[in-house]
Amino acid sequence: MSKEIALRCSGLTKRFGDKLAVDGLDLEVGSQQIFGLLGPNGSGKTTTIRMSLGIYACDAGEVEALGSVDPLEVRDRLGYLPEDRGLYPKMKVAEQLAFLGTLRGLSLREARHRAAQWLDRLGLGERAKSETNELSKGMQQKIQFAAAVLHDPELIVLDEPFTGLDPINVRLLKELILEQRDRGATVILSTHRMDQVEQMCESICLIHEGRSILSGTLSEIKASYGESTVNLEYDGPAGALSNLAGVREVRDSGRTASLLLDDVNASQDVLRQLVDRVRVRSFELAEPSVEDIFLDKVGYVAPAGADTAAPEEAVQ
Amino acid sequence: MKAAKVISIARREYIARVRSKGFVITTLMVPAMMAIYAVILPAMTRADVDELRITVVDAGTGIGAALATRLSENRRLPFVMQQTETVAESEVETVRQQFSDAVRNDELDGYIVLMPHPDTLAQGTYYARETGNILIVGTLESAIETTILENWFAGEELERIRAVQRADMETITVSASGEERGGFGVAYASTMILGMLLYITVLMHGQQMAMAIVEEKNSRLVELIIGAVTATEYMVGKVLGVLGTGLTQLSIWLLMVAITILAILPALAMGAAVAEFDLAGVLDFRTLAYFSIFFFLGYLMYATIFAAVGATCDNIQEMQQAMFPAVMPVVMAFMSTLYIMTNPNSFASQVLSFFPLFTPLTMFARVNVAEPPLWQVWLSIVLLAATALFTIWGAAKVFRATILFHGKRPSIAELVRMVRAAA
Repeated sequence: MSKEIALRCSGLTKRFGDKLAVDGLDLEVGSQQIFGLLGPNGSGKTTTIRMSLGIYACDAGEVEALGSVDPLEVRDRLGYLPEDRGLYPKMKVAEQLAFLGTLRGLSLREARHRAAQWLDRLGLGERAKSETNELSKGMQQKIQFAAAVLHDPELIVLDEPFTGLDPINVRLLKELILEQRDRGATVILSTHRMDQVEQMCESICLIHEGRSILSGTLSEIKASYGESTVNLEYDGPAGALSNLAGVREVRDSGRTASLLLDDVNASQDVLRQLVDRVRVRSFELAEPSVEDIFLDKVGYVAPAGADTAAPEEAVQ
Repeated sequence: MKAAKVISIARREYIARVRSKGFVITTLMVPAMMAIYAVILPAMTRADVDELRITVVDAGTGIGAALATRLSENRRLPFVMQQTETVAESEVETVRQQFSDAVRNDELDGYIVLMPHPDTLAQGTYYARETGNILIVGTLESAIETTILENWFAGEELERIRAVQRADMETITVSASGEERGGFGVAYASTMILGMLLYITVLMHGQQMAMAIVEEKNSRLVELIIGAVTATEYMVGKVLGVLGTGLTQLSIWLLMVAITILAILPALAMGAAVAEFDLAGVLDFRTLAYFSIFFFLGYLMYATIFAAVGATCDNIQEMQQAMFPAVMPVVMAFMSTLYIMTNPNSFASQVLSFFPLFTPLTMFARVNVAEPPLWQVWLSIVLLAATALFTIWGAAKVFRATILFHGKRPSIAELVRMVRAAA
């Protein structure tokens, strides 16, 4: 792939008082793709995004967005849907969208024209003259998304775009995001929703405690783990999956579970043990899901008393 | 800074402000209150008496009947003259008791006792339930005076004396640039009115804007905006929007005044009163020019300070507290003008007029009442402009540091640290 770089951060550092929010973070986002920015709450994702977009100045390190070392210079080519977002409650929907468009460099006429088009596309054409506070939360969120892409930006950062949306709107938003990529834009998706990342992202970067702890294309990352995970569907009593030999970690959801194997070759032994304990309805060897990788990398340990085997005990 | 973005922010703020209830209310309230003050109050002092039942008690001056006739012919006050009593000087006290009882029983509104006087022929005393009405007392006094003069003089001599009586003294302000009519009263009125306009508009709209900024912070709108425009563009846009609001309101008021003077008052046949008022004396070119300069710079400076205060606050209650020190200079400057108008060139007045936070009101008052040296006026304007620019620069830094900041409001020391870090 001979892709250009849409966003590059190197050694990015930001300190708030005594707290180091971002600690020498490196990030590289190739253009014309959907890129997943993952990380637990408080890991520094939002701060990283803010520095990348020039909202915060960084204490150290460099940002290069769309080829410019000063993101403010290219800000009219950037689109941003913040996680903390709101709209003017008393302003008419179409006016509001047009206003936000002019802030990204569109002329008022052009912004109004595009706002009308987008409202039609979102099925909100009839609400153009409504006051924003008359709209449901989901509708407002769609308008905020439209505001982020109204000016056809080349780099779009969406911070938790799916929160609060119903499945129909999640699907709609997904299609709209894919459409932006197909148009040639680069989309950075910052989210906790691992399933979305799994479905949509080509590459990811995992941030933990202000540092990048894993990055690359999703397929490469998964391949590096190999088929070391068992996706299991089963019927059986609680606790039936504890202390399985050859299993490093169990993520039990009740009827389904992921078993992280010590070794790719241990699968047959594990299956044998399972057959004795529970009724196996489905047993599939797979690459680990993003969620598993995520939890593995941030060193998630199930709360004490939970139905998960401790890896050391399982081996012995 | 990109002009188009600043204009976009300013435009939105302007529309939101002008459409707000507060704008409509103040736009109507202020002229209504001034109208009450200027027209209705004097009209009420004239209209609140239907009739004034008055008796003249003449203790031997011989002009009692003539005075009663003169008063009954008065067109401005509805005197209803009772029978004039002519009594001996020794009986005055007895008669007075009767009349005072009549006044107490509301059978009479008042009575005048005319005692003989060796030099002025008669010495009048007015006894009444209400003696506070300047119009009544003044009318009675001049009626007695005129009656005495008519008793002494006649023909051409009387005419000349009457002419002298009617002549008012004129006041002319002498200044470096020339001489002009209108004295303290006119300067006082124009300073108060124009000062009040700046005071009301900037406090009203400035605080509304600060509130809007806090609401934008609260509703998380601000990050959507700050992603697209710089903090400086955002702030300058806000301030310009609110400046436009103030100017719009001012224009509406001036238009209202013009319509009142040109169309409504003549229609009400009050043209004479307007001619007496001499509008040109109040609003001459010089006054308006200085007002424009001080209004523009003052408004810009105060509004910017309010915007910065808004940026540091997280909720409205917090903002109202924080607003107090920011409002103080405006209030103190307005108070100072009262002193300055009576002592425009004292040392204290000079100091007050050079303090940039006060200059918009204090120097304007000095310029209006006296004519301070031109270098002083322009030096104060330069200082004010520099301060306004400095305020904008500082407020932009405060914005950058605090606009995305939520939580406890920073202390001044913390604020300085944050501003340094963001710079």
